[in-house]
Amino acid sequence: MNELDLKKDGVTAINHRLHALPENTNERHWVIRNPMGQHAIACGLDGPLHVEVHGHVGFYCGGMNKDAEVIVHGHAGVGVAENLMSGLVWIKGNASESAGATGNGGLLVIDGDASSRCGISMKGIDIVVGGSVGHMSAFMAQRGNLVVCGDAGDALGDSIYEARLYVKGKVASLGADCIEKEMRDEHLADLSRLLAAAKRKDNPKDFRRYGSARKLYNFNVDHADAY
Amino acid sequence: MVKWLKAHHPQVRIVGSGHTIEIFKEVGLPANVYDKFELDDAKGTHIIGHTRMATESAVTTAGSHPFATGADLCLVHNGSLSNHNRLRENLKREGMEFQTENDTEVAAAYMTWKLRNGVPLKRAMEDGLSDLDGFFTFLVGTADGFAVVRDPIACKHAVLAETDDWVAMATEYRAIAHLPGADDAKIWEPEPSIVYTWGGNA
Amino acid sequence: MDPNIPRTTPRKSATFDDYTLSEIRRAATTGIYDIRGAGAKRKLPHFDDLLFLGASISRYPLEGYREKCGTNVVLGTRFAKKPVELKIPITIAGMSFGSLSAQAKEALGRGASAAGTSTTTGDGGMTPEERGQSKMLVYQYLPSRYGMNPDDLRKADAIEVVVGQGAKPGGGGMLLGQKISDRVAQMRCLPKGIDQRSACRHPDWTGPDDLEIKIHELREITAWEKPIYVKVGGARPYYDTALAVKSGADVVVVDGMQGGTAATQEVFIEHVGMPTLACIRPAVKALQELGMHRKVQLIVSGGIRNGADVAKALALGADAVSIGTAALVALGDQDPHLEDEYQKLGTTAGAYDDWHEGRDPAGITTQDPELAKRLDPVKAGRRLSNYLKVMTLEAQTIARANGKSHVHNLEPEDLVALTVEAAAMAQVPLAGTSWIPGKGGY
Repeated sequence: MNELDLKKDGVTAINHRLHALPENTNERHWVIRNPMGQHAIACGLDGPLHVEVHGHVGFYCGGMNKDAEVIVHGHAGVGVAENLMSGLVWIKGNASESAGATGNGGLLVIDGDASSRCGISMKGIDIVVGGSVGHMSAFMAQRGNLVVCGDAGDALGDSIYEARLYVKGKVASLGADCIEKEMRDEHLADLSRLLAAAKRKDNPKDFRRYGSARKLYNFNVDHADAY
Repeated sequence: MVKWLKAHHPQVRIVGSGHTIEIFKEVGLPANVYDKFELDDAKGTHIIGHTRMATESAVTTAGSHPFATGADLCLVHNGSLSNHNRLRENLKREGMEFQTENDTEVAAAYMTWKLRNGVPLKRAMEDGLSDLDGFFTFLVGTADGFAVVRDPIACKHAVLAETDDWVAMATEYRAIAHLPGADDAKIWEPEPSIVYTWGGNA
Repeated sequence: MDPNIPRTTPRKSATFDDYTLSEIRRAATTGIYDIRGAGAKRKLPHFDDLLFLGASISRYPLEGYREKCGTNVVLGTRFAKKPVELKIPITIAGMSFGSLSAQAKEALGRGASAAGTSTTTGDGGMTPEERGQSKMLVYQYLPSRYGMNPDDLRKADAIEVVVGQGAKPGGGGMLLGQKISDRVAQMRCLPKGIDQRSACRHPDWTGPDDLEIKIHELREITAWEKPIYVKVGGARPYYDTALAVKSGADVVVVDGMQGGTAATQEVFIEHVGMPTLACIRPAVKALQELGMHRKVQLIVSGGIRNGADVAKALALGADAVSIGTAALVALGDQDPHLEDEYQKLGTTAGAYDDWHEGRDPAGITTQDPELAKRLDPVKAGRRLSNYLKVMTLEAQTIARANGKSHVHNLEPEDLVALTVEAAAMAQVPLAGTSWIPGKGGY
């Protein structure tokens, strides 16, 4: 276990330290203290590191990571785990806007609430939110799963492509081309797997599934109002 | 007093008026501005700090936020309005005066105009949601509190932290991180199109 | 009718001209706006409206070929540890794999590398073909983030954060179903054959304060090595340039409305944005006021066609230019020898702009494997490098004639304007006068 003090060393030095580790390093466990809401903490990691951050982080924490596990014992700012490729980012508190934006893979868990645009343009990432998500979540979501154990704000899944959305609570409103869909066994199995990965005890059967009506996939003048 | 100053000393720029709120503006590094106005010795119940990355108007002291919106009221803004030029012309016809080309000054004048016509602050801010176009997170300081509103799209960030002792709002959490007890504060974000208020006058 | 009464000749309306009438009929029939590729086609004040003064007695010219006239440019000297060093001040603009065939992307890489300059990815990610063939490759970071991944980010020589482009400042990308082939679909994580409409704002930042934080993240991920460009559509170049600098950009790219696009609404292309000529001086003014001219480099694009355009853009204050449409023509686009095939598509060589339909007979703006095969990347690359070298020689010829030992020493004062419009936009005097409209004089 190696400790890093962000207040003392600054973000760049700490990221450099983590990026410079050789592929076969034994120094896999790291703790970052005093994050002070600074931006770009533990982003661009490329390897199976396990990083625990104690405190609140700013924008883009864990952005574009591959293979690494980043656990934040606190809240996260805008764009946490943006464009995540693989691995895990786990926020023990709340997350701000655009959590998991454009993520390609891996798992993002947010124990608390996520703000607006959670999972915007997601491209394969799995996101599990213990609380609620804000408006415009899963906007243009292309692929992957967004699981919301609380409520969803306005315009959920607007212009959605092939991502799957599971919401346990109320949905304030669905966005253009997003509809409720049948929950089949394969979906229940997927959802169970994701809830288990996020260590959640919610019953998959309490969720509803939402996805694309696929009416905006090719332009049709009779659907022009939705644009 | 304000009228007298305008009539007799038109070269004096009035940045604010009232009994409880003081407004300081300057161009320069925040630390220098802080020292210049001896803010270390300032006492009070609430404070707004604003640094500006000017979007479309000049970097000047006059263009700095906050803008006064009447006695003991002031407004800061993060974002960029898209219909302020025509609105400024309309407000000029209503007798409002402007010192800059700044979009925020228009928002402030709009609030001032509403309040002068007897519209309560909360209503004025709600009306602003339909009359002001573009992107904004506004914070209005009042004699004994403050109010916050974000546009319906809500791309310009806002984070609130509350403890038993204080409430703080900032664009980014890192501004709050230095406050005592910030680690354990309740942290949340204001939703779009909803006016939040703290204090009786708001 | 009395045949003895003279009749006036039939007269068509200047307002309701043939093109306008055809567009009304098209809209009424289809119910969708017209989508096409390329940039603004209308007549605009442009570099042709400027002339260089040359040298005679008051100013001494340099000997062609013998006396050196430098053309190199270094991009990203402000913050990046590894700036991009180019031999010529002409780069290849961002064009996506998806909008272009893999062969075309490869040809661009080959041509640019042979001429000593860089190419740029586009809205769709980086292909191994273009990385392999591009000695210097700029990786675009776009709102859609299609194909965006940190490995490619680290493989790039520079990163270009795209805020907008000249053909559609304020608009998002568009790639219609016809061009979403298996490979394009896979790279963009989309179903095959759907219309892809990209967002117009980035998903995780809005405005200059956020951009500063985003640029910081990109620098952290790439160890502060790579130059970071910010590309904006030529809409509000003074403010946008100033804000890009304040946000921490190493390089600002300003793309005027003649700059091409793979596919956008015609109304957007022709009615939003400013001519390239009108964008340069406001951008340079912003840099000068911040003390950043030549420290933060300015790349100008949109309708650059020859060495004279290059020299004029540099004289007005740009550090380099980018070409897109012209590069495609060098590869073989719009070639008259394909006229029969253009006719079959209802158009003619030189006017073909239905790039979104993916039926390009030249094999460039297509994903059809049979059409794409027509383009030989080696030969096409050679054509591009020839063209880039000619442009460079032309720019040198002009610079030497004005007594400059480096193209960057060209100045606005070396120019005059042929029209009042160009004089006002470029802020150089109308030829034979000292009148710069809007700047006093007579």
